[in-house]
Amino acid sequence: MSSSTVMIVDDEEIIVGAIQSFLELETDHKVLPFTSPIRALETLEGEPIHMIVADFMMPEMDGVTFLTQARQRRPEATRVLLTGYADKQNAIRAINEAGLYHYLEKPWDNEALKMIIRNGVERSTLFVELERRVTELAEANHELTGFRERLIQTFL
Amino acid sequence: MNSDRQELIDQSHLATLGTLVAGVAHELNTPLGAIHSNHDVIRRALLKLEEILEDEVVTPDELVGVRRIVKAMDGVLRTNGIAVDRMVKVVESLGTFGRPDRAEVDRVDLHEGLEGTLAVLGAELEKMHVVKEYGDLPIIECFPNRVNQIFMNLVHNAVQAMEPGGTLTIRTSVEDDDVQVEIRDTGKGIAEDDLAHIFDPGFTTKGRRVGMGLGLAISRQIVDHHGGQISAESTPGEGSVFRVRLPLLLPANAREDGESHEPA
Repeated sequence: MSSSTVMIVDDEEIIVGAIQSFLELETDHKVLPFTSPIRALETLEGEPIHMIVADFMMPEMDGVTFLTQARQRRPEATRVLLTGYADKQNAIRAINEAGLYHYLEKPWDNEALKMIIRNGVERSTLFVELERRVTELAEANHELTGFRERLIQTFL
Repeated sequence: MNSDRQELIDQSHLATLGTLVAGVAHELNTPLGAIHSNHDVIRRALLKLEEILEDEVVTPDELVGVRRIVKAMDGVLRTNGIAVDRMVKVVESLGTFGRPDRAEVDRVDLHEGLEGTLAVLGAELEKMHVVKEYGDLPIIECFPNRVNQIFMNLVHNAVQAMEPGGTLTIRTSVEDDDVQVEIRDTGKGIAEDDLAHIFDPGFTTKGRRVGMGLGLAISRQIVDHHGGQISAESTPGEGSVFRVRLPLLLPANAREDGESHEPA
C-alpha cells in the first residue's frame, strides 16, 4: 500500500513519538502526530486521512468524543482507541457510540498495531472506493432517468 | 490516643496507600508503554541493519533504508530520554512522599509535599486543569507524612467532585503567623446542610463524594494535632474550597504524642 495517512493523537508526547518512530521504520504511511485533539480536528477538515489512532484520557477532550467528532468530519477514516486504563467498560461504550474499528491497551504490541493499521487503511480505501462507485451509480441512474424522460417526450 | 481513633487513622492510611499505588502504576504505565514500543523498534532496526550489511555491500536503495533507521533511532532516543526522566521523577516523588526512614517530625517546605501529591495522583488529574498559585512559604515543623496525607485526601476529593475539564487550584500563602494551603475545585459542591458535618468521622454524602467522610475526619485530626485549622466553603454547582492552616512550629505536646503511636 503506497502512502496513506495515519493520524496519531495522544496528549503524551512520548506515546505519539514512540508510535511515530515505529510506523516510520516499518511502514510507508505518512504520520501526522498530534498532542492536542482540538488541533487534530482542525487538520481533519483539510487533509484526507485514512486512519486515526487516539488516546482515551486527554485533558482537552476525551478520546471517544474526539473520535465521534472525527467521524463527522472524515467518515472514511478508520478509528482506533488507545487507552492506558484496562477500562473495558468505557471501551465497549466507545466502540458502540463512536463506531470504532478497534481498541488497544497500553502498553500495546507493535505487531498488533501494525496489523490493525494495515487492515484499517485497507478498510478506509475500500470505503472511499465504495462511495465513489455509489456516486457513479447514482449519476448513471440520474442520466438514465433523464434519457428515459427525453425518449418518452420524443415518442409520445 | 484511644484505639478507635487509631483504627480510623490506620484505615485511612490503607485507603491512601491504595490510591497511591493505583496512581503510581498509572504514572509508570505511560513511559513504560513508550519504552516498551521503542525497545521493539530498536530490535527491528537492528535486524534491518544486519540484513543490509549481510552482503558487505550497501546499495543506494539500502542507503535509503539506513537513513530511515537513523531517523527512527533519533526519535527513539528522544522519547526514551523523556520517558526515563518521567519514571525517575515518579520514584523521586514517592521518596519525598512517604519516606519510611524519615524522622516523624521534620522541618519541611510544604510545596514539596504538594508536588509529590500531584505527581502520585497524576492519573486522576489527567482530565483536569491544575493551577498552582504558590506563595513564599517558610519552612515549617510538622509530621510530613501525615500532612501529605491531608493533601492527598483533599486533592483526591476535589478531583472526585469534578467533571472532566474542571480546574483544581492550589494556593499557598502566609496568613498571620500560619501557613495556609487552599485547595479549590470547580466541582459539584457540597450542600449547605452537609457542609457542617463533613469533618465528622463516618459522615458520607452517599454517592455524591465517595469516601470523603473518613478522609476529612482524619485530615481534621491531623490538623488538630498540629495545632492548626481546617475549614471548607462551598457553593453547590460551582465548587468547593478547603483551607488548611498550620503553625510554623508544632505545639510542645504534639511531638511526644505523635511519636508514641507510630512505628519508627
